[in-house]
Amino acid sequence: MKKKQVNFTKAHKEYVKRLKRNKFLIIFFRIFILVAFIGLWELFAQTKVIDPFFVSCPSRIVSQIITLAKNGTLLTHSWITLYETLIGFAIATVAGYIIAVLLWWNEKVRKIFEPYIVVLNSLPKIALGPVIILWVGAGTNAIVAMCVLICIVITVMSMLSAFLSVEEGKILLLRSMNASKFQIFTKLILPHAMPDFVSVLKINVGMSWVGSIMGEYLTSKAGLGYLIVYGGQIFKIDLVMAATTILCLLAFVMYALVSLLEKRVKSKC
Amino acid sequence: MENILKFDNVNFYYQTKTDEIFALKDVCFDIEKEHFVSIVGPSGCGKTTILSLTAGLLKPTSGKILLDGYEQIDRKKIGYMFQKDFLFEWRTVWKNIKLGLEIQKPKNMEEKLALAEELLKKYDLYAFKDQKPRSLSGGMRQRVALIRTLALEPKLLLLDEPFSALDYQTRLSVCDDVYQIIKSEKKTAMLVTHDISEALSMSDKIIILSSRPATVKDTLVPSLVGKTSFKKREDERFNGLFEYIWRQLKNEEKTS
Repeated sequence: MKKKQVNFTKAHKEYVKRLKRNKFLIIFFRIFILVAFIGLWELFAQTKVIDPFFVSCPSRIVSQIITLAKNGTLLTHSWITLYETLIGFAIATVAGYIIAVLLWWNEKVRKIFEPYIVVLNSLPKIALGPVIILWVGAGTNAIVAMCVLICIVITVMSMLSAFLSVEEGKILLLRSMNASKFQIFTKLILPHAMPDFVSVLKINVGMSWVGSIMGEYLTSKAGLGYLIVYGGQIFKIDLVMAATTILCLLAFVMYALVSLLEKRVKSKC
Repeated sequence: MENILKFDNVNFYYQTKTDEIFALKDVCFDIEKEHFVSIVGPSGCGKTTILSLTAGLLKPTSGKILLDGYEQIDRKKIGYMFQKDFLFEWRTVWKNIKLGLEIQKPKNMEEKLALAEELLKKYDLYAFKDQKPRSLSGGMRQRVALIRTLALEPKLLLLDEPFSALDYQTRLSVCDDVYQIIKSEKKTAMLVTHDISEALSMSDKIIILSSRPATVKDTLVPSLVGKTSFKKREDERFNGLFEYIWRQLKNEEKTS
């Protein structure tokens, strides 16, 4: 461990002070923008500069959320979407990782599947919606399938390129030590690709919400996506906005959890 | 003296889709136990190929390679040190040193770990044991790489220009350190280099290769006096030998 210096120069004090002030400014403006946005929105809606029928307003969104919470539907809808998202996220991440490992393991297999992956990646997954419903049935299954489909290709591609980015010489070093392919994977490839895995998780957080909401647009009887579509159809913008707000919160929490994981991984390597 | 390594009429071709490169032609030499042998040659002549063949990473097109008397190459007898240190950034110094042991899982693990620890202490790296490689200087990193190789107690050390990435000052002192370590641990080593003075100051025998396809052109036993590689550079025959090798290599580059 490095020894801590106790007597700092005056310049250091000023430097730390500047750092602190910058950090304070950043946090201040973050909150300021949010508060200003909500405040102005409310103000313009109240003074009828904008029409709350079309754009809703914060107070109506809050009262809508409270109504939903009171009759218990808030929790049901949120839970359904959260559940679909988490399942889709988990399946796509695990399966995508395993596929990437298999493709890394065997070069021939990798080359054979390369064009298929490229095509699958560029295909808009929503186009497969009707096919998915026919194959796995409408409802939760189809939504999870949509979510998996959206996340899995990017997971495979990102992980594979992370696996392949290892310095060739390091593989040679392990081979000269008589390492098996499995050992090369566990000792070198896996830890090397750990930071990339965390960024894949971060991408998948966003993508899995896209997947589940898109799935709910296609076929659903409940969920936040369902509420949004339903609210749109009956011209109840408050409901659309309320569901969107909840969605924002949930996605933020999930993202924050992955960021926490990222910090732990970073401190390890 | 017992031979650790013997190359017997080894030929090697590199295959590519459109070409075939004749890299080694009838290469013959042997390395005795506890000897330090250097291989010098014009750049791109196939010096590293010889190391890769010895480590069993490549197979000769024809001819025989006997490692410790066997044609079947046992990689556990080999310690390969590359141009770069290839330390794993996510492992501490100590865990980097343990890497080879984790892979080979020798029966006498405890003994080998004790040896590794002793080497760390001996070569002033013990204090950095729990640090990540990024906080180490280039010379220190190269020493860690050497200890990682030595911890496996290989019968033959393969050194592929292990100092070339270092600046000149560090290079001289690390070269001297490595020489000391190898000599005091009584190891057999084969060094590939294009630094003539490095070869002269460290070797019991120098093998001069021709340009591609490489074949053994000359073998030299410098027998310079001096306990360290620094002292050997002060031997009066040093300059003469340097010039001799330099001319040989120069001629090769002209003819190629």
